[in-house]
Amino acid sequence: MEISVVNLKKYYGEKQVLDIEELTIEKGKITGLIGPNGSGKSTLMNIISGIDLDFFGTIRYDGKPLDRSIYMNMTLVFQKPYLFRRRVYENIEYPLKVRGMDKGERIKKVENIIKRFEIEELREKKAHRLSGGESQKVSLARALIFEPKLLLLDEPTSNIDPESIKIMEREILRFNQETKGTVLIVTHNIEQSKRLCHNIIYLENGKVGYLE
Amino acid sequence: MDYILEGFREALKLLISFDKEVYDIITLSLFVSTTATIIASLICIPLGIHLGLKEFKGKRAFSRILYTSMSVPSVIVGLVVAIALSRRGPLGGLNLLYTPKAMIIAQTLLVTPLILGLTYSLSKNRGKEIEKVGTSLGAGRGDIIVLTIKELKLDLLVNVVTAFSRAISEVGAVMIVGGNIKNRTRVITTTISMMNSMGDYPMAIALGLVLLLMSFVINSLIYTYSGED
Repeated sequence: MEISVVNLKKYYGEKQVLDIEELTIEKGKITGLIGPNGSGKSTLMNIISGIDLDFFGTIRYDGKPLDRSIYMNMTLVFQKPYLFRRRVYENIEYPLKVRGMDKGERIKKVENIIKRFEIEELREKKAHRLSGGESQKVSLARALIFEPKLLLLDEPTSNIDPESIKIMEREILRFNQETKGTVLIVTHNIEQSKRLCHNIIYLENGKVGYLE
Repeated sequence: MDYILEGFREALKLLISFDKEVYDIITLSLFVSTTATIIASLICIPLGIHLGLKEFKGKRAFSRILYTSMSVPSVIVGLVVAIALSRRGPLGGLNLLYTPKAMIIAQTLLVTPLILGLTYSLSKNRGKEIEKVGTSLGAGRGDIIVLTIKELKLDLLVNVVTAFSRAISEVGAVMIVGGNIKNRTRVITTTISMMNSMGDYPMAIALGLVLLLMSFVINSLIYTYSGED
């Protein structure tokens, strides 16, 4: 899914936090969004994901405005993941359930992704009792289970162990290569952006600094 | 001092001997308050969550009115229902005054703002994050409400119990619309009030003990459930 942003302005009260004239997130590519704290990265992610609709400007998804079908084809993984107060298995299964997928298909997909993320031992655990690294892996698995066309990641690997980071990066790359899904990832880690990203966008004071 | 001890002895006798009048009163109390709480919960929980999550014009004013209405005195609710159901009232033709149905209506109206207000506040404070995650995973409006109910079920249960406690312990509304008629509309609180004014303590103490026991059982169940969650 290609994202084009035109004349985007976002205010918190009197303060302008985003001012982007033009920005394109390329289809099928992994784009890194970097910049100092408070530069508007998370705000931009919330706007693109459709969670924050209070802004000025235009955002197009493959040339179309946001509608239900686009909502169903994108997802956002948050910096502090919120997992539902139920088992890990049920958390991962949730996006498939709301899409009305039949049980047999759901079981197959969930079992497959649990294996890929190497979280078999977490399967029956209550998700809200997991550690930070475990939660992030489950959160990413839950986001990837329905193979979105657009995957938005807001610092998904901050403060987690290197082994979990390795698994998550591997799965992000696999997702992008196998499904050609577009990925936009906020990161403070330059090395990570080099490992993962095709393009990098630099955001400072709500404005796009340079594009590489 | 003796008459108090005597009251307790007699109260225990009434309970242990399964005195029909005492148990009829307890059953009617439970029936009326449980029904009222269930009706109000079915309406107010989804509505409260929806309103808590939704941004609309005048939300702050709405919050204030709602929170104020949570503490409406039970006698006022009783009076309004009694006027509506009285022979000359707009619903007089239904002949519901001094029946358990009238008591259920009054208690439903009494606990409706309480459940709505508590759910609304809970949803406003903690539902946003659930909505955000649910939306990002493709959940529609209905899915979000169901998801929020499931995620906040323990807090919602506490709210429902709070409402039930208010219903079962109130005396004003049921007294006005029920009339405290023996074998018909007499409930725990109206009986305690009446027995106290008559100086007949054993039954009042017996029913008071039952109220305390109910509160203990309900709270124990909630704590057990929350520990398991």
